[in-house]
Amino acid sequence: MSEFEKLRVVIGYEFLKHIRRKRLYVILGLTLVAELLVLILLPLLMEGYPDNVMVMAAMLSIGPGLATIGAVFFAGDAIAGEFEGKTGFILFTNPVKRATLVMGKYLAGYAAVALLVVFGYVIVSISLLAIYGNVPIETAKSFGLCLLYAGSVLSVTFFFSSVSKGSMGATVMTLLFIMVISGIIDGILAMADQPNWFLLSKASDSISTVYGGYGLLLEGFMPEGSMEGMPHGGRLLSALKSPDISLCVLSMVIYLVVGFVLSVWTSRRRQLA
Amino acid sequence: MRESIVIENLSKYYNKFLALDNLCLRVEENENVGLLGPNGAGKSTTLKILCGLIRSSSGVAYIDGVNVAEKPEQSLSRIGAIIETPEFYSFLAPQEILSYLGRLRGMRGEGLRRRIKEVIQLVKLEEWSSVKVEKFSRGMKQRLAVAQALLHDPPVLILDEPALGLDPRGVVEFREIIEGVGKKKTVLFASHQLVEVVQLCSKVAIIDHGKLLVYDSITQLEKKYQSLERAYLELTGGSLE
Repeated sequence: MSEFEKLRVVIGYEFLKHIRRKRLYVILGLTLVAELLVLILLPLLMEGYPDNVMVMAAMLSIGPGLATIGAVFFAGDAIAGEFEGKTGFILFTNPVKRATLVMGKYLAGYAAVALLVVFGYVIVSISLLAIYGNVPIETAKSFGLCLLYAGSVLSVTFFFSSVSKGSMGATVMTLLFIMVISGIIDGILAMADQPNWFLLSKASDSISTVYGGYGLLLEGFMPEGSMEGMPHGGRLLSALKSPDISLCVLSMVIYLVVGFVLSVWTSRRRQLA
Repeated sequence: MRESIVIENLSKYYNKFLALDNLCLRVEENENVGLLGPNGAGKSTTLKILCGLIRSSSGVAYIDGVNVAEKPEQSLSRIGAIIETPEFYSFLAPQEILSYLGRLRGMRGEGLRRRIKEVIQLVKLEEWSSVKVEKFSRGMKQRLAVAQALLHDPPVLILDEPALGLDPRGVVEFREIIEGVGKKKTVLFASHQLVEVVQLCSKVAIIDHGKLLVYDSITQLEKKYQSLERAYLELTGGSLE
């Protein structure tokens, strides 16, 4: 039996595990609630939907959060759980390379996260179609970036899962790395006017700024004239540099490849004592 | 007679703690050998090295002539193992778990389905075969562990305290299963239950502090020490008082 055939078996059963877990349906439900909240609260609080379909599309874009939560929920225990929960005593005594097991788990996890992302973008597309009668082509670009971002976050989660003793540790470390550490460094570098394209938080911004940059988002969130009362007439906010999409793609590919390779390498060396 | 399991000068350090100290052991084909020793003697460490779960610090181990460190997939294909008290994916049912593990070992189709049914019957889990493992007791999981170890009908069984967690009836049934299948298999069996070892094995290896103290047939040890219990206690520094 070839390793490729074993990989297919691992993907199939690992995906079955995700399908059986309640967390998949909880996140799907939360996605629906989040999008419904935007759709219901916007007209109530801002006198109707924005005139510009791009602004609305960006506002509905919850893909980065969805990809992050999906990745940590599905992958936090992917490797650490086999050691912590002792399921590894059954799985690792089979004639399968650790690299095949990790790759199978990764692809199954990616399929589960992709399912969430697809669900989110279906809601976005249906909403835009219902409100504006069209779905901008940028939605497809945002979708593509979101899928790539999901892969990179999953790789980072796999890396932390491969070095952590427990699943909870891997989940917390991933969330801290992506949502806190990366965000703080991003803010500092932005204030110092230094390049920050290599941070995952910047990559996640690209998913919504692909619709027209930070300027467009601010236009959508700030009522007309509200920036005039701000320091420098809100010019500082408007001057925020939107991320360079191609550099963000490069950054996400690096996280995806390096994170995955490191997780395979660590898993192969890890002993189940 | 061919040797199924060969352990040569196996040593294992956990940081500075020496768990195995130049251990040597040879188990012939279709021989059932009990691995005895006090807690921390190195029994589980030995079995884990044979199953490729941990690496030895020095020395080599072979399963049917295959070096377990150099070709782990090849050696694992000849092993059925129960190590410690294994857990299973709680969202899956025994049928699905056995199907997963069977397919990883190249089994498929009607042959796999038939074999899953056989091993589930053997461990008496028929009524629970479609129930998710999350509802299982410790003893039922141990039965499932026995089922997965026998699923692919391996020539070598490596069992680490396999009756742990089973109720008295389960222990008796487990002994009957191993007694039956063990006639055509090589079994290396770590246990604290001397009665169990006497019933299932023809030879024993007693180890302590990672060193082999004695490796002989139970009959010879009983001749020399009057009973296996006395042999165990004398060799491991215990007392009959």
